[in-house]
Amino acid sequence: MYSYILRRLAFGAITIVGVSILVFVVLRILPGDPLVAIFGADGFTKLSEAERAGYMKALGLSDPLWLQYFNWVKDIARGDMGRSFFRSESVAEMIMRRGPLTAEIALISVVLSWVVGIPVAIISALRPNSIGDNLSRFISILFLAIPGFWLGMLIMLGLLFWFGYRAPLAGVSFFVDPWSNLQIVLGPGIVLGLGQAAYIARMARSSLLEVIREDYVRTARAKGLSGRLVIIFHALPNALLPVITLSGILLGFVLAGSIPVERAFGTPGLGFAMFTAVNERDVFVMQNLVFLYACVFVVLNIMVDVIIAWLDPRIRYQ
Amino acid sequence: MSVTSPTVAPVRFVRPSLLRRIGKGTVRFVRSSPLSAFWGVIATSILLMALLAPEIAPYEPLQANFRRMSRPPDGTNWFGTDQIGRDTLSRVIHGSRASLTVAAAAVLLGTTFGALWGLASGYFGGRFDIISQRIIEFLQSFPDLILAMAIAMALGAGTGTVIIAIAVTRIPFGGRIIRSVVLSLKEMSYVEAARSLGASHMRMMVRHILPQCIAPYLILATTHLGVAIIIEAALGFLGVGIPPPTPTWGNMLSDSLNAGLVPPWWLVLFPGLAITITVLAFNLLGDGIRDMLDPRLRGAV
Repeated sequence: MYSYILRRLAFGAITIVGVSILVFVVLRILPGDPLVAIFGADGFTKLSEAERAGYMKALGLSDPLWLQYFNWVKDIARGDMGRSFFRSESVAEMIMRRGPLTAEIALISVVLSWVVGIPVAIISALRPNSIGDNLSRFISILFLAIPGFWLGMLIMLGLLFWFGYRAPLAGVSFFVDPWSNLQIVLGPGIVLGLGQAAYIARMARSSLLEVIREDYVRTARAKGLSGRLVIIFHALPNALLPVITLSGILLGFVLAGSIPVERAFGTPGLGFAMFTAVNERDVFVMQNLVFLYACVFVVLNIMVDVIIAWLDPRIRYQ
Repeated sequence: MSVTSPTVAPVRFVRPSLLRRIGKGTVRFVRSSPLSAFWGVIATSILLMALLAPEIAPYEPLQANFRRMSRPPDGTNWFGTDQIGRDTLSRVIHGSRASLTVAAAAVLLGTTFGALWGLASGYFGGRFDIISQRIIEFLQSFPDLILAMAIAMALGAGTGTVIIAIAVTRIPFGGRIIRSVVLSLKEMSYVEAARSLGASHMRMMVRHILPQCIAPYLILATTHLGVAIIIEAALGFLGVGIPPPTPTWGNMLSDSLNAGLVPPWWLVLFPGLAITITVLAFNLLGDGIRDMLDPRLRGAV
């Protein structure tokens, strides 16, 4: 088990180095001139030659590329991740302030996806092809097609229209004011959670139907246990393994999905910061946030792999 | 006694005409899953809507009408008008063009590139394969939308850049699945026979392995269309898609948020509904095609 974790961590470290290089290539090398990216094509033409050189030097952009990359890694290692071009706050401070909201949203959505998805899957698998099964399958296919940010906008409009309610705009920590904090994160959490629940229900249903055909389940049934008990206590635990893996992959979907959803709700989280950074063409903030999201995604997937290996010895000894 | 050898009529294999084969395939598809066929009809009508947008749309999508600004749906403008009086119905109809072209081009580009890469890395194996697998893993370490956002931002706004941004996120899927298909094909005896006859690498790949990859390729392409449409809409919504004034469903939703403190409901409802119905149609059509071409791939893609 320990050797498995170590191996997984080593691969994860390589991946993170690779990811950082990829981010650097995409955001710092591809755009051609970073000043055009920052000021826009119009603003760039208005700058004098000396101003351009000055900005390039101030931003550390006249250094050779390998040195720029090295400086960025140093910024990350120091923990402040450099500064936004437009704000006084360092990127690290922004992450500390806004990150918790997005993390809460992710947590709520994952919990909700299991709470909704698994029971739906059990109901489907108990009587495959019944009305209930077909209905739940149709609803999950429908939710795969609904863009989360649109659902978010509809919910927000509906609340405003019928109840005259609007979530508070300023971000508050859960520990300071739990109620207004929850009002901010519940909406995005629910929207993203329902989106994931559709995937979870689909996967859990097909995996349950597969496990039900195995010999040990037939044995349990032959002993005289009722169908419901067999599914919940014998089939479900084994059927959940692929669902856990999927849930890890879906976390990436939540991280990415939270960007448009936070914009739809106006949630002051990290996703909204990403939206702002993209629209202000703030390459430095974007670079750090993209790297952060990718790292979180990699680490979460390592955790999922370790959990799976812990639950299923066959994987550990491969 | 003369022995007359029985005469055997020469068997000639006549390949039915292409039109006929397509017709037969369609009949088989409709029979095997009428529900997918129904969604196929809807998908086709959306395609037609995109093709004939200028003929169908009641108004010019870019034509502002300052006498009818921010009107809710009525007899003149069925889907209402936006804050400068452009007809929402016409904009939704024209929006299908951007959405479908970008999604189709991106999926074709990304899946084709990924598939060829997967074919080469599965076939040659060795160091090339190991390096390719690592690169694909790096690409997969980003959630799709985030990678697409970064690329679209780096390359600047435009139709071409959105296509490239979405295509890059599709490469790993093509690469992984086609590679695994190729790995199992490589061990088949007919491939070994071709190798022992001295076929060149190029001939082996193109004549003997590639044809077997077509079914998984088609399945990949159709099942990923829906995701691509959603990513395109999200990019438009986040302001890194095709820039206004060209109407896309994503930037229409984004515009509605900029319209005021409270976005008018008709500006929110209709573009989103268009996205949902389109994605639903293409997803279900894709499921049907997958079940017909290769039921074993259920859940794999």
